[in-house]
Amino acid sequence: MDEEPERAKRWEGGYERTWEVLKEDESGSLKATVEDILYQSKRKRVIESHGQVRLGMMRHLYVVIDCSRSMDDQDLKPNRLTSTLKLMETFVDEYFDQNPISQVGIITTKNKRAEKLTDLAGNPKKHIAALKKTVNTTCVGEPSLYNSLNLAIQTLKHMPGHTSREILIILSSLTTCDPANIYELIKTLKSLKVRVSVIGLSAEVRVCTTLTRETGGSYHVILDESHFKELLMLHVKPPPASSSSECSLIRMGFPQHTVTSLNDQDAKPSFSMSHLDSSSGPGLSLGGYFCPQCHAKYTELPVECKVCGLTLVSAPHLARSFHHLFPLQAFIESPVEELQGNGFCQACEGDLKDKSIFTCPSCRSVFCVECDLFIHDSLHCCPCCIHSQTAP
Amino acid sequence: MASEDELSLLVIVVDVNPIWWGQQAQREPEFTLSKCLDAVMVMGNSHMAMSRANKLAVIASHCQDSHFLYPSKTWRGGDIGGDDASSSGDGKYELLSVANNHIAEEIRNVMSKTEVRGNSTDTLLAGSLAKALCYIHRVLKELEAGQEVKSRILVIKAADDCALQYMNFMNVIFAAQKQNILIDACVLDTDSGLLQQACDITGGLYLKIPQKAALAQYLLWVFLPDSEQRSQLVLPPPAHVDYRAACFCHRNLIEIGYVCSVCLSIFCNFSPICTTCETAFKIQLPQMVKPKKKKLKQSM
Amino acid sequence: MKLRVQLQCKNLHEYLRELSPDILDRLYNHPATCLAVYRELPSLAKNYMMRMLFLDQPLPQAAVALWVKKESQKDHDECVSVLAGLRLWHSQQLQGGLQGYILNPVFKDNLRTALLGGGRVWADEGSSLGPDRHARDIESLDRYAMERWEVILQFMVGSPSAVSQDLAQLLVQAGLMKSEAGEAPYITSAGFQFLLLDTASQLWYFTLQYLKTAQSRGMDLVEILSFLFQLSFSTLGRDYSVEGMSESLLTFLQHLREFGLVFQRKRKSRRYYPTRLAITLAAGVTTSSSSLSPSSSSTTSSLASTPGTGDTGFIVVETNYRIYAYTNSELQIALVALFSEMLYRFPNVVVAQLTRESVQQAIANGIAAQQIIHFLRTRAHPIMLKQTPVLPPTITDQIRLWELERDRLRFTEGVLYNQFLSQADFEVLRDRAQGLGCLVWQDVAHRVMVVTPQGHSEVKRFWKRQRSHV
Repeated sequence: MDEEPERAKRWEGGYERTWEVLKEDESGSLKATVEDILYQSKRKRVIESHGQVRLGMMRHLYVVIDCSRSMDDQDLKPNRLTSTLKLMETFVDEYFDQNPISQVGIITTKNKRAEKLTDLAGNPKKHIAALKKTVNTTCVGEPSLYNSLNLAIQTLKHMPGHTSREILIILSSLTTCDPANIYELIKTLKSLKVRVSVIGLSAEVRVCTTLTRETGGSYHVILDESHFKELLMLHVKPPPASSSSECSLIRMGFPQHTVTSLNDQDAKPSFSMSHLDSSSGPGLSLGGYFCPQCHAKYTELPVECKVCGLTLVSAPHLARSFHHLFPLQAFIESPVEELQGNGFCQACEGDLKDKSIFTCPSCRSVFCVECDLFIHDSLHCCPCCIHSQTAP
Repeated sequence: MASEDELSLLVIVVDVNPIWWGQQAQREPEFTLSKCLDAVMVMGNSHMAMSRANKLAVIASHCQDSHFLYPSKTWRGGDIGGDDASSSGDGKYELLSVANNHIAEEIRNVMSKTEVRGNSTDTLLAGSLAKALCYIHRVLKELEAGQEVKSRILVIKAADDCALQYMNFMNVIFAAQKQNILIDACVLDTDSGLLQQACDITGGLYLKIPQKAALAQYLLWVFLPDSEQRSQLVLPPPAHVDYRAACFCHRNLIEIGYVCSVCLSIFCNFSPICTTCETAFKIQLPQMVKPKKKKLKQSM
Repeated sequence: MKLRVQLQCKNLHEYLRELSPDILDRLYNHPATCLAVYRELPSLAKNYMMRMLFLDQPLPQAAVALWVKKESQKDHDECVSVLAGLRLWHSQQLQGGLQGYILNPVFKDNLRTALLGGGRVWADEGSSLGPDRHARDIESLDRYAMERWEVILQFMVGSPSAVSQDLAQLLVQAGLMKSEAGEAPYITSAGFQFLLLDTASQLWYFTLQYLKTAQSRGMDLVEILSFLFQLSFSTLGRDYSVEGMSESLLTFLQHLREFGLVFQRKRKSRRYYPTRLAITLAAGVTTSSSSLSPSSSSTTSSLASTPGTGDTGFIVVETNYRIYAYTNSELQIALVALFSEMLYRFPNVVVAQLTRESVQQAIANGIAAQQIIHFLRTRAHPIMLKQTPVLPPTITDQIRLWELERDRLRFTEGVLYNQFLSQADFEVLRDRAQGLGCLVWQDVAHRVMVVTPQGHSEVKRFWKRQRSHV
């Protein structure tokens, strides 16, 4: 509309000889170079994620899933909708694994309407159950970007300022049916500091480019299913918090888990508060978590107490997020020839047979490629540094 | 049985903290480190004898370091074609006797070579667990196509928890949970809050044994069955786990506390500046007021 | 009248159960056998054994029953019967009058020995002979074992290869080959099925057949079984001495040498090396019984876990019915050719096509569709193993369908009753046969009925009685 995006289009750039990266080895095989490229991309992810930035740890995210006619397309197998929903399930799991005190809600849009599939909530099971049910819906009509954004705003604008407000749109259609001027809505979104990101399943659309640029989100169009998954997983990591976001101390409860067995004389079964709104399943159970403020009982954490509004979490939930705050330094890569002494990885005791080794900058221990990736991807702490008593 | 083709890897982490074991030998001369290691070997042997697909690794957790007692670095894969492999010269299964000799030799090396600094009785279990996870990860990567491996870790813990390790320990637990690795704990002395959480989160068993001398029997009865058999057997009930958080300022266990929205530090009282990340909190949340009532457009 | 004889392959457990209690008790005198038997137990029973291994008093039966949760009561009952069936434990009266269990003392002692040491050495080590100047490494042992085994298989397919008279006779006795007077033996339908098994199952089947005939050769079953198990628990790449072995064991060793289970440089050599075949013998038995039943096609190949047995995957099957076999082994190519049509032959790969005719031909030879599928599965190329299911479903389904085409007629043996004089006679006899549950078929209009051979004598007796009454 107004200024041109700075990013040049691929086709405007110079002529790229992409195939020249591939080189045959002596035996005429491409395996070595292909493996090298795969390995490089793996490493890149590890290195990229390490910067000391403030992250928005408490997130409120609405995912908008397009359920319009175009989702019936079969370019993703078996069709776009099924493929998207399946990926969403893993996304929800990953999301709560990485952001245990955050919340997610799901909105679907079809037939020019937007519908809330699930409310903002912190329980992955509910979302996944809802996603599983959605597989059988028929994809009809056109999506409405305006209506879905509007629906998301209604809830997001009430969220406290110290949390991040995000919307992620998975858009398959190239058109949208909007009841009013969407550029007005984008302005509102911007003022409410809602970050909107879009993953396009077909092609780049102008309105999305503007939408994401204005609100500070990202816009990607998928190449294939694995790329789709990669793009979704980008949204699992907490985004950097905007400098203007508020900081506050939040009051939280750490309820104790009480276990009672049936043969205990004074054990009385009671109803869990979390079953109040859902009709599914019997809510009567023996043990549970009791809110330290009002003694309402819940069977699962984290949850916001329905009676007194206190956020109830357990200490491990908070601990799960610590690794985002204290990321492990990237290890230094060096060729294996430089290694003195015995050639064993300090973590797994395996041979250092790959062509590069990795050294922890603080304790000078050496590791193999696999361990390096494993340590940075899931362990988040150096197995040798922990052994020094002065570990942080 | 479908599980026959599946490898089952058991990693035993033994706490060999010399200071604790030294004190223990004075308290109860009938239960020493060598008795404990005998029990561990019985457990290891029983596991390996159960099926050809069962594999074993033993890690000694010292106060500053962890050592692999078995398998040793020089053995590649599963085949033991070494010349140093000598059987014990009696009716023991050869593979087991080789393993046991090796463990005994390595532990002797570890105990004689490692010097002890300071006199803390804490053991750095997190490091040993981290190494165990790395080892399991490596075994997983070395598998051939179509093979599967089910792994679990058994911790035999003697000394006290090290409070400084909380964060690393938690990281290790979550990594284990993500990989579907059970952590079992057999505690000899005082209860360990960290291990209780580890067992609860990963779905393992936690047991503080009342009689140390009967360690081998406890191991065989409770910890030998793998997860599949555990679903059939009657085993000790899950331990009560304390999930209360410790505040960063006084290390008190609290039920209601304040959490910094930036760094998630936990405090027992309200303070205007976070001591961990030095963020100044702008607004004081009125207690008991739902966040909804708060004004939204704050100063930029 | 049955068209095909399915090759039955028992596992160790079933085999042991058929042995007499006397032999069983003698078997448990060796730690190696105890360990092998222990490994064959259901996993729950293994845990029972472990819990009781270090107890010297009998345990009350009621206490043992409380070990399992209520839902798993069935598994518990099964364990109790298995343990009692193998004579591993027996009931004993406790002091208070309660019934208790106590482990077989011989078995307990020997299993303890196997686990913790003590007792006598299993086998003399080669080290007593000093280092071997012609020591063998693992690779050459693997090669040797595979060569020997392939010689046997090749002999079965009919290629000229030197096989001892003993072995040829054994193959005939096992029903894998048939020989008519004065002629060279030729392969039977069971033999075809045998060829398509994986190596571990072949070996186990063969060993079972050997054991069956062992006693007729004047060998002591207990002695050779113990030796076999001891062999399967030995370490690959180490040498053992033949010192102290009896004459019949030495003959047995020579047979094992011919199968490729042990390596001995010369007939008179004082030392031998067990090969991987011997060591995987005990491991193979668990899957061998299931490898034939269609339900267990999900059991992953046991071969993948035993690298080096020579025939790690080399077959790629495409959905267009083409088979690419990356091998230069004549034997393997001959096996693939059993059920497919050869298209091209290259130095290291052959291309074949599965056709209706070729599969029908194989089935006519007595090979079951399940066996073809199992063959392709267990020898699938590592790249194939990565996908699930390993084989394209279109191919497996089609092979099964081709088999079903032949199964439109089912043959049931029976005895025909006809020429009844009256409808009443017919009905009386028919109702009687129906009551006995042995009526196969009837035609009221023509007064014809067929009963099973088992029911024939009963029906006949009834008919005679009926006639004498009238």
